[in-house]
Amino acid sequence: MKTYDVIIVGAGMAGLRAAIGCVKHDLRTALISKVHPLRSHSVAASGGINAVLDNRTFRTENNTVLRDSQELHFNDTLECGYDLCDTDAVEMLVSRAPAMIRELERWGCLFSREESGNFALRRMSGARFARTLYASDKTGRVIMNTLYEQCIRLRQNKPDQLRIYEEWIVLKLLVLNNTVAGVIAMDIAGGKPEIFYAKTVIWATGGSGRIYGRTSNPGTHSGFGMAVPYYAGASLKDMEFIQFHPTQVWDSNILISEAARGEGGFLINRKGERFLETYEDSRAEKEFSGRDVISRNMRREILSGRGVDAKYVHLDMRHIKQKKIWDRMSGVRELCKTHLNLDPQKDLIPVAPGQHYTIGGIYTNENAETEINGFFAAGECACSGVHGANRMGGNALMETLVFADRAAEYAARYIQRKKPKTPKEIFFEYALSGEEERIRNLLSGNGEIRVSEIRKRLNATMDAYAGIFRDGMGLVEAAKTIKELNQLYNTTLHVDGDSARANYGLIDALELRGSLDIADVIIQTALKRNESIGVHFRNDFPAGPTRLRHSMCKLRKGKPDIRYTPVRSKAKPVKPLHVLAPWIRK
Amino acid sequence: MKEKEYKILVFRFDPLKDKDYSFQQFMVPVNGLRTILDALIYIRDNRDGTLAFRSSCEQGRCGSCAVHANGAYGLACEMPLKKGKNVIRPLAQLPVIKDLMVDMSRFWEKYESIKPYLVRKNNELGQSYENRQEMDGMIDCILCGACFSACLMTGMNPEFHGPAAYLALNRFLKDERDAISEQRLDLVKGENGVFRCHSMFNCNEACPKNLKPAENILDIKKSIL
Repeated sequence: MKTYDVIIVGAGMAGLRAAIGCVKHDLRTALISKVHPLRSHSVAASGGINAVLDNRTFRTENNTVLRDSQELHFNDTLECGYDLCDTDAVEMLVSRAPAMIRELERWGCLFSREESGNFALRRMSGARFARTLYASDKTGRVIMNTLYEQCIRLRQNKPDQLRIYEEWIVLKLLVLNNTVAGVIAMDIAGGKPEIFYAKTVIWATGGSGRIYGRTSNPGTHSGFGMAVPYYAGASLKDMEFIQFHPTQVWDSNILISEAARGEGGFLINRKGERFLETYEDSRAEKEFSGRDVISRNMRREILSGRGVDAKYVHLDMRHIKQKKIWDRMSGVRELCKTHLNLDPQKDLIPVAPGQHYTIGGIYTNENAETEINGFFAAGECACSGVHGANRMGGNALMETLVFADRAAEYAARYIQRKKPKTPKEIFFEYALSGEEERIRNLLSGNGEIRVSEIRKRLNATMDAYAGIFRDGMGLVEAAKTIKELNQLYNTTLHVDGDSARANYGLIDALELRGSLDIADVIIQTALKRNESIGVHFRNDFPAGPTRLRHSMCKLRKGKPDIRYTPVRSKAKPVKPLHVLAPWIRK
Repeated sequence: MKEKEYKILVFRFDPLKDKDYSFQQFMVPVNGLRTILDALIYIRDNRDGTLAFRSSCEQGRCGSCAVHANGAYGLACEMPLKKGKNVIRPLAQLPVIKDLMVDMSRFWEKYESIKPYLVRKNNELGQSYENRQEMDGMIDCILCGACFSACLMTGMNPEFHGPAAYLALNRFLKDERDAISEQRLDLVKGENGVFRCHSMFNCNEACPKNLKPAENILDIKKSIL
């Protein structure tokens, strides 16, 4: 049995930041990740990271001078999230953001700069100000490198404090009497599950986009990461909220960074018109409207026959100066060249909206604590309530850092104050033998349906019925399909090979179970929410909510049980934006 | 007649079971498959689930899927399938765990051995625009390991740090905020260090991001002299 003070699962931006925090709090830390930390999908984050650092001023069109402030960042986040945000979490995010940036700066993070040496900023959709720091359009890579560098440094200075288990997959979260007791994880290359014991576990496994077919998420985001704590009794909050990113390249699903629109790119239809102007909700801000609004209007445009080949619209960046593209969007340029053989300077880029971000996740409070004692979650897999019904561009990266830092701090406090008893050995052995049996059963099954077949049907179902537009009939249909697929999975699944050693087919099969269950949660919560808000749009209930509420889904007797809780909103009145910045709304 | 299938020859080797490696042939449909990685995923999904290879982002950003395919190093997700035969091998110079999955520990060890982190001169934050601009060609490295495999010296001399590590090193040498450049140079000026590089420029050729580790190595040599 491997024993640590804290186990961190997932080594993306949240996981690495949590590891640094835990080591600084003198905890013996194990960082377990399915891939090498620098292969995590945080490295693909491109747009940038939001923070109000120096209250920079901006001159508006009618020459009024405005000063950015944390209050405005707070307001923008709430407005973007349709007020479904938990304000204590948003306040935490906004107020701690500058400290996080200064910390990265101290560690040598290479943000892009203006000629004066100040941080360069860009405006992301949904924001009223340019307040997003970036490094060309490789922000995620640069921040991940910085965090990993610090982990190396800590490991070289304190070799006993941090151990990174690369390419280990966590199969089970161990919980006894609502108190965490560690995890069971398997070395992918070795194929043997092992027990990890710790009093605290920090979960940072990221999103679950691969439940959908058209997604910018990597193959590793199967949904299993959210399913494991769900099986162990954690609540999943607001799972019906799935963000779709407007500019994903048609067919190959490669994400064109929001920088493209932020730096002046247009969306045009078949006739070359900037169609966002023709829709009421995107008329005022056009390409800077919220992601949900743009995605919906793109889909509407395509459905009404003005898209190209009835499949996509075009992103036009031909008018942007070459220097700007080279300086600020070098990644977009490279992607277009190597994957599409297009030159953004000369060609139109085919784009359509696709799944991008799982807004919902493991319920946490503003300190990253969950309902299970000693269990914390941060990053995309968690739902602290900062994003509400629609995430603002640039807030996700900041969320990972702020809440990972909180998780580390509260894990340290938890270990100091509470002394949970170590469960008896038999508890661990029983859990371990359960997982070993599961693997044996998968390998020895003699069915004929391949994992990929079930996954393909799942992807098609989710794309069709749980996408940008949803309706009751479709969702019921989808729920039926999932039930069928579950049955196929349980009875006739086929897994190649006879050993678990470096058997990625087996890993796929293990993860598919999570995909199916998380898909079911998304469908059930979407079906139950009879209203349209943010990214959740029901054709049969287009009206907004009468009462703001979060959905909470918990596994009870093998079935998802959905209840609603009110939004954690402090009495602090939010000044409407048109009072603070009258130039915005005419 | 138009070809409807690609022929894929994949390196297969399980060191615990097999005496020697072999190439297994698969036929995959032309339709819907664009890159080497597409073909590999197709094979795992539809033909043989035990084929071991790494992949994650599938858009050339994470660096998981570096392989040797059709005579060149690169990211499987960026290399197009070609008509006729496609031969896919694992990265060279690194021990095979299974099939295309290699043990990258030596690569990471070497990267970490050059102390790839900033040690500040003082507590003054900030960086000048010019200094930041200088780093542009160095921060795009995704540490995929293609250059490490293409380099002949990494194969001959297990102590040699390899191009990716030197590229990272030069990024810190160039950083105006860094305090330990002397120490960093001491780390690599020994007999197994940077001077073992014969300037064959294999690394430049292998780099899927078109970076120039070889020039950076020359730069480091100059700094030492």
